[in-house]
Amino acid sequence: MSMRSQVYEWSNLASSGNSTLRRTTSDVPVTIPADREIDIFIGGYGNNITKPAETTATQFIVIEDIACSPWLGGSVQIRINTTDYFQNPDVTRQRGIPGLASPYPRGSPSSVGVAGTALDYSVDNLLKSFDLYPDVYVLPGQVFQILYSINSAMNGTTTEVVAAFVKYTLYDGPDALIANKLLELGVTINPNNVDWYKRSLIEQQTRAAMAPANGGA
Amino acid sequence: MSMRSQIYEWNGLAPSSSTGNFTSANAGRATSIFIGGFGNNITKPAETTATEFVVIEDIACTPTLPATSTAATLSANYRGQLEGFTPGNGLLGPRAFVQVRINTTDYFLDPDNVANDGIPGSASPYPRSLDFQPSFNLYPDVYVLPGQVWDILFTGYNAGSWGTTTGADLYAFTKYTLYDGPDALIANKLLEMGISINPGNVDWYKRSLLSAQGM
Repeated sequence: MSMRSQVYEWSNLASSGNSTLRRTTSDVPVTIPADREIDIFIGGYGNNITKPAETTATQFIVIEDIACSPWLGGSVQIRINTTDYFQNPDVTRQRGIPGLASPYPRGSPSSVGVAGTALDYSVDNLLKSFDLYPDVYVLPGQVFQILYSINSAMNGTTTEVVAAFVKYTLYDGPDALIANKLLELGVTINPNNVDWYKRSLIEQQTRAAMAPANGGA
Repeated sequence: MSMRSQIYEWNGLAPSSSTGNFTSANAGRATSIFIGGFGNNITKPAETTATEFVVIEDIACTPTLPATSTAATLSANYRGQLEGFTPGNGLLGPRAFVQVRINTTDYFLDPDNVANDGIPGSASPYPRSLDFQPSFNLYPDVYVLPGQVWDILFTGYNAGSWGTTTGADLYAFTKYTLYDGPDALIANKLLEMGISINPGNVDWYKRSLLSAQGM
């Protein structure tokens, strides 16, 4: 299993304090500040992991999709080492992909609130306007972050729950080496092309083994 | 019929009380949808024999929609959520995940290489609707080799959203292809060759064998 499809889902739910390492049944919404980029892996809000997301020397990651809750002006940005992926046309920083363009879950409403004691969603169903293509590559040894931010403050009494989502493929061991080779060749890295490269290697070895037997000697 | 498309659907509500309902007491526990003891189950763990090869092509479960911390009831806009859920802990739905386990190894990991709960129902919803559409596609597929035991584990965290005794419509779903007999041998051969295992490629390999024999 050296090519594996993986996902990571973050939400501002924690059982105690602002963040938690494992999801629990007692998780409750925590307020996150507006206008601040929060690392969904180790940002200190909601569910987090134990260390920054990074690739080892034998791993290669291809990020294929990012999405987030569309309300409160939510956006997601990808940062590789210290470089933000999405930029303004004047090469200045921006928040990244708006949740309105890449909603999570797909089909979700554009706003959520409370009317009296009742949960109140808008009646729309958002579909994605954005497709992360070409994919984003995280090379061996690189650190990557998914940064979530909102530009409207959360309601202090009816804290909105927000979520962010990333889908990626993890190439490990020999498949990571092949991914590097494909990168050198300028070939898109996806499971099909990694399999194609493996088949090419096998065919070459087969031809090399057959050559002496066919009169090469 | 040596290549067969198969599905398995699990519902947390027990059929005619042959096993228990999946109630809020089970929240937070990874439960096998095959032999977990709740909802509909099968008679033994899911495993492949020496002449079988399984390719898991899709997994999904009941989705959840983020809400707010204080809403206690539902407004008119019910958002397509299945029957039986109430807003709670800031969510509308069970906050459910499905994980694939082969022998003792969990398939889905966090970026720190720690096994996680799996695919969120919000990313791979079952059933799909206008309100809940998939963000996730299980590609590459997951292979269960001959002689391996496999499991789909369901975990729901938002206990307050479903009943303490009666449960609710909690679903998990998996779609897989079962290759049996000669087709399982071909599947193994394709695996050795680094070719994706799907019915089209198995048929291609059969045609290649026939061509080599001059047919």
